[in-house]
Amino acid sequence: MMSEDLYAGKVVLVTGSRRGVGKAIAEHFLKNGADKVIGFARGAGSIDHPNYHHFEVDVGDTESVIMSFAALKQVTDSIQIVVNNAAVLTSQYSMIMPPAAAQAMVNVNLLGPFLVSREAAKMMRKRKWGRIINIGSMAASLEPIGDSMYAACKAGLSTLANVMAKEFASMNVTCNTLGINAIESDMLAQLPRDKIDAIIAGLPVPRMSKEDDILNVIDFFAAERSSQITAQTVFLGGVN
Amino acid sequence: MIESKDVLEIILRALQNLNDELPDDEKFEAGPTTPLFGPNATLDSLALVSVIVDVEGDVSTALGRSISLTDDRAMSQEISPFDDVQTLLNYIMTLVNESP
Repeated sequence: MMSEDLYAGKVVLVTGSRRGVGKAIAEHFLKNGADKVIGFARGAGSIDHPNYHHFEVDVGDTESVIMSFAALKQVTDSIQIVVNNAAVLTSQYSMIMPPAAAQAMVNVNLLGPFLVSREAAKMMRKRKWGRIINIGSMAASLEPIGDSMYAACKAGLSTLANVMAKEFASMNVTCNTLGINAIESDMLAQLPRDKIDAIIAGLPVPRMSKEDDILNVIDFFAAERSSQITAQTVFLGGVN
Repeated sequence: MIESKDVLEIILRALQNLNDELPDDEKFEAGPTTPLFGPNATLDSLALVSVIVDVEGDVSTALGRSISLTDDRAMSQEISPFDDVQTLLNYIMTLVNESP
């Protein structure tokens, strides 16, 4: 049983908070006492809570992110925890992958976390405390056929966190990546089920992730005691 | 609108904040001629970034609109805005005096 005030005094920003894993993460922080949870998503908000503040943002668009940070400063002057969760996926053989779909993955899955972390770090600097958590994927390690750009972006996400971990260490800001495996979601529904089942069957822990598997690692990365845990990628299910 | 003396105060405050974080043997004198970047600078690159971020944020807040000290324009100035406190002040005042 977790304390309901685990995140008291914390302001948390979650991207892709409208549905799926991002929504579950945002609700987790709200349930556990976060002062404010800021949600970034392209569509309207789907969480009704007095401490939840939603911004319609395209995280892959520089201007959209900069303007949203300017707007959120009306709500809070600090952010302590960022979860870069927003992602898009088009799974297709490289030779027939539409370039626009590949570009969208780079923008949302890689440039977006860079922009959001960049702006949030400026706010974290003032209080000399922060946790940046990127939601990666087992695809970065397993490199499945059809996921060339998606896997490359998710691998890049770990590198992004590792470099930022060095740059932000003196600000007591840690940067880590959680490589999740398959979880029931709209994104997963886009992929052939037999392909997913085959991948899961080959994992050391051959089952799909549950929300709590993800939240457990998020709590670990976000914990006060984890100040020395930085530049790390943790995969679920035995992927390495 | 903010004036030159206000911007200078913001820059010096950012330098003082940095000074407060440094051990005694690394503290430096913060004034209008303090070098920020280059062979005579006492700030390392990460410290300079911290000062720029603080100044950019505080000037934007005081001005009521965002200014950028890290875009291509800043980086391509003939005289680098980051040579010393005075060049940074001059560059910021150029931005401040432009139409929004």
